[in-house]
Amino acid sequence: MAVGKLDADQGLIFYFIQQVRPELAVQISKTKTIETMIVGLGRQGTRHTRLMMEYGTNVTCGVAPGKGGTKVHETIPVYENANDAIKNHPNIAVASIWKHYSSAKDATIEVIRAGIPIVVLISEFIPLRDVRDILVEARKYETILFGGNTPGIIFPPEGIKVGMLPDIFQAQETNGKIGSKGVTILSRSGAILYHLSDALASAGIAQNGVLGVGGDAAIGSRFVDLVSTIMGYENTDLVVIAGEIGGMQEELLAQDMISHPEKYPKPLVALISGANAPEGKTMGHAGAVIAPGQSYGTYISKKDALENAGVSVVNHQRDLIEVVKTKLNRTYFKIEDYYNKMRKKWDAKTPERTWGTAITNVMPNNLIIRGYPLQEIIAKKGLLETAYLLQKSDFPDKNELQEMEKIAVKAVKEDFLNYISVPESADISKMIGSFLLIDNQLANFADSTKDISKVVAFTLGRIVKYIAIVLGNSEIVDSLQIEELSFTELIYLGLVGEKHPDKLKIRLLEAMITACVDHGITPPSAQATRILASARAKYEVGLSAGIQAITDVHGGAGQKAADFFLSVVRISKEKNINLDEATFELIRETIKTGKRIEGLGHRIHTKDPRRDILWELAENAGFAKECVSISKMIGDVFHQVRGIDLPINVDGVLGAITADMDIDPKLAKAIFVFGRIAGLTAHYFEEINTQPQMRSISFDKAVYRGQSIREIG
Amino acid sequence: MKLYESEAKQIFEKFGLIIPKQIAIIKSINELEKLTLVFPIMVKAMVLIGGRGKAGGIKKVYSLEETKKIVNEMFSLSIHGYPITKILLEEAVDVASEVYLSITTDPVTFDVIIIASGSGGVDIEEVARTQPEEIWKKTIKNNPLSLSNEIAEEAAIFLINKNPDLDIAKIQLVSTITALFAVFQQVEAKICEINPLIFTKDNTLIAADAKLVIDDNSLYRQSSLLKSIGIDPRSKRHDISEQTIFEVQAYNIGFPYLDLLINPETFEKEKNKLYVGLVPGGAGYGIFSIDEIVNVGNRYFDGKVVPINFMDSGGGPSLSNVANMFHLLMDHPATDLIITSRFGGISSCDIFIQGLIMALRDRFMSKKRMIPVFGRMVGTDLAAARAFYEKAKRETPEPLKNLHIVVGNQKIMADVIKDGIEYGFRVKEQEKSGGN
Repeated sequence: MAVGKLDADQGLIFYFIQQVRPELAVQISKTKTIETMIVGLGRQGTRHTRLMMEYGTNVTCGVAPGKGGTKVHETIPVYENANDAIKNHPNIAVASIWKHYSSAKDATIEVIRAGIPIVVLISEFIPLRDVRDILVEARKYETILFGGNTPGIIFPPEGIKVGMLPDIFQAQETNGKIGSKGVTILSRSGAILYHLSDALASAGIAQNGVLGVGGDAAIGSRFVDLVSTIMGYENTDLVVIAGEIGGMQEELLAQDMISHPEKYPKPLVALISGANAPEGKTMGHAGAVIAPGQSYGTYISKKDALENAGVSVVNHQRDLIEVVKTKLNRTYFKIEDYYNKMRKKWDAKTPERTWGTAITNVMPNNLIIRGYPLQEIIAKKGLLETAYLLQKSDFPDKNELQEMEKIAVKAVKEDFLNYISVPESADISKMIGSFLLIDNQLANFADSTKDISKVVAFTLGRIVKYIAIVLGNSEIVDSLQIEELSFTELIYLGLVGEKHPDKLKIRLLEAMITACVDHGITPPSAQATRILASARAKYEVGLSAGIQAITDVHGGAGQKAADFFLSVVRISKEKNINLDEATFELIRETIKTGKRIEGLGHRIHTKDPRRDILWELAENAGFAKECVSISKMIGDVFHQVRGIDLPINVDGVLGAITADMDIDPKLAKAIFVFGRIAGLTAHYFEEINTQPQMRSISFDKAVYRGQSIREIG
Repeated sequence: MKLYESEAKQIFEKFGLIIPKQIAIIKSINELEKLTLVFPIMVKAMVLIGGRGKAGGIKKVYSLEETKKIVNEMFSLSIHGYPITKILLEEAVDVASEVYLSITTDPVTFDVIIIASGSGGVDIEEVARTQPEEIWKKTIKNNPLSLSNEIAEEAAIFLINKNPDLDIAKIQLVSTITALFAVFQQVEAKICEINPLIFTKDNTLIAADAKLVIDDNSLYRQSSLLKSIGIDPRSKRHDISEQTIFEVQAYNIGFPYLDLLINPETFEKEKNKLYVGLVPGGAGYGIFSIDEIVNVGNRYFDGKVVPINFMDSGGGPSLSNVANMFHLLMDHPATDLIITSRFGGISSCDIFIQGLIMALRDRFMSKKRMIPVFGRMVGTDLAAARAFYEKAKRETPEPLKNLHIVVGNQKIMADVIKDGIEYGFRVKEQEKSGGN
């Protein structure tokens, strides 16, 4: 079987473009690709965009008012209108229109005026007066307009389809090489196109273009507009038209053939349907009705007119095959190959539907954020830079970073429910989740700000404020506001409540936070935010849902791990035994009571990529004390007790460091929650901008489709 | 949607055209009693088809007795299959001469086209054939919403040249043409016709008849106009003669269906012929498959095969709709065999086969008539459809023993049809010999 396909500038569709837009054709000869555009991204438009791409069509962009700036099928940019699309993609040669009939006219006219040479109008039931308006424009701009009510057009040699045709068509193929010779088929009906092509393929006849002209009574390009053009294409050996009762397209073509025989140098075969249709009854297609008393539009009038013009008219599949075979006297491919190809296609299992994220690639022992390994990000970049990277797939330049810093600091300083009193036992996730829902400043900022990097900076600032309230540090934060503190200093102050700490301490806390920014689609927090975003909930609502999914089970183990490490230290002191002995003892005791040891084990990582860099930074800052030592040995000790490998995870490491820093163990969870704000924000906006609303989300079908691994430059 | 003459005239009047005074629309002869009539009047059958005059559906009457007689006769009449259930009574007009005026879509360019002729009141197609010089035609480019005065004048001058008497009504002629054009564009008509436009003895132009067909696709935005003349815009008016019970059934379920047999409920089958029902896929193949049945029948079966229906089963019907399509044809007394095809672009083979098998199992369980089904499925979701089909045949062989679906396109539809018909005749033979 052949691999590859015909060059885009060798086929029939290119020939069409050459006839009406020679300058664009020159561009296509250089790029060797024919760019297409989708207008209307409802259910059908979106579904068929994917099918077209799978067939091989280059879908460059989409147009859908209200969806500008988002992406369809995760990678294809969507614009507000056709002009924006053309500005960004000047080589678009074909547009297909999938709009509802009530808005199809404006969308089509917009595309025609943008100068796109080939327009495929899939929409059906368009009011006739609107169709006339469309035709006025199409004539003015010399647009080749297929439809309305067309199943689309397909070019098997080039592998280009625009529309909803099934994949049953067959190109010329000689010794594994695809060629563009064959017949070109035009039809007013979709199913007939398929039955015709399939019948011809069964006799070894290739199709170099299969064109649905539309089933409506008034359509764009008619047989008479297209057939002679197609006969000018050197690789078309014969043209088949499938006509039906109603209208006078077939009669008109016959008239033109008689008055201008020189325009029709190649054989034409017509299959006409409706020989046995009753008078006066509309048969499905608006156009397919025999109007009583008219001199055209009947089977006989069409057959007679075409036969007078020398066209072979058939009304039966077998006759079609025989007539075409006789006229061509050749085949274009091995019939057996065609059937094998078809069989393969239909025996194939439906491929699993995956969906993509470009944020974080989660692999065992590796966390790659936007292409950068997380441990390197922790080592080399700050929190705001990482938050920017998560949203925008690159690090900020100096000005952008300064802007974020300014916004974040301002967000800390703006008022928020300072009078609120929070109980000592308050759960940090629950409180922050609640604050997010009632913070009007945040809601207003997120609503009115387009740049997501600014939204995330403002949110991080607000979270500092919330955490300070929950941990009882808000007065200190407020009292120091007159001083010119940096954002990282404010973070330290808000979380730890310590004034003027050591720079290394600040850096350590920032690194611990950065270590928690994201873990791809896998954690419940990201999934909760995604579900809310899918229902198009507001940003802060989606964020709140994600934060509230951070519990003892997910992300909240640090506090318990810290408590455990501190207990080990206490036991070792009380009993005057080594830390490893104390660890061994406490693990055994804990397990006896049926409890688990927090901070151990991970669903994905055996050696958590965030571990070593955090230990190293703790060491540098002078906070690698007993608890960090325990965290380094606990995996081995656990193995001695249970015979199972359960390595330390990031919660465990964070718990150990917070314990050694001698700060409230509650902070371990606050750190995790704080860091995850950046990742959840990225998930929220990725869902909004690249996925259809209210989709059914299979989280295990998510695939990473982002940047490949790169180094921080 | 076709409008009745009375409705069309009401709309014309809203746009400033002069119409004869409508006295009443009656549904029974008893209603005549309540009316005060000044004779002569016109008695007109309200049916949605042309050629009423020749068929006796338009009469001028001069007395109450005559009116009663004519009305009585008309209510028992049916014109080209349309029974008469409503009669319009309107003022008769004194005729000096008659003009023909219509606006429609040019079948060649799809532009709006205006046609005028001084020979009104007769079959315009006939005039066009025999005296083309009597017809004025103008294609209007650019789809304007209103007609330019120039063109309306041009038409008026043509008509005046043919009939100088009209000169005195030139201004009204121009405004009539302009108004009719406005009706066409604003009501979104497919056809807008006045035949005849009567020039009365007192020099007035009156639309004595009116034909108005509104574009079905535009009905959704014409609702206020339709309501104003008492039409429910959501109930699409079928424009064929009396629907058969099967057509009504399909219409209610929601798929296009037409009976090809006249009176299918009471129809007598010819014993040696095979009657084939069709569940063909989309509309285009729906039309073509009828031809295929006839062609295959003529070629291989001595012309003894009769297709019984048109159906559009394309466009992705639901499971229950697929089942209903087969139920309908299996309940149809004429059906001997069903031919079906699913060539899935937009629609799924999987839904199709599940719906079909659901119908067969239901019928088997409730001991309803089972009809052999021959067909082919190709395209979207074929793998799943095949798995379902094969499993169903294993699990419930009995209800599916007469189901023969070719999976994939190794056989073209024409050959599947031929196989099916052969099988149908074989079954018929067996039934015959079994009966003996």
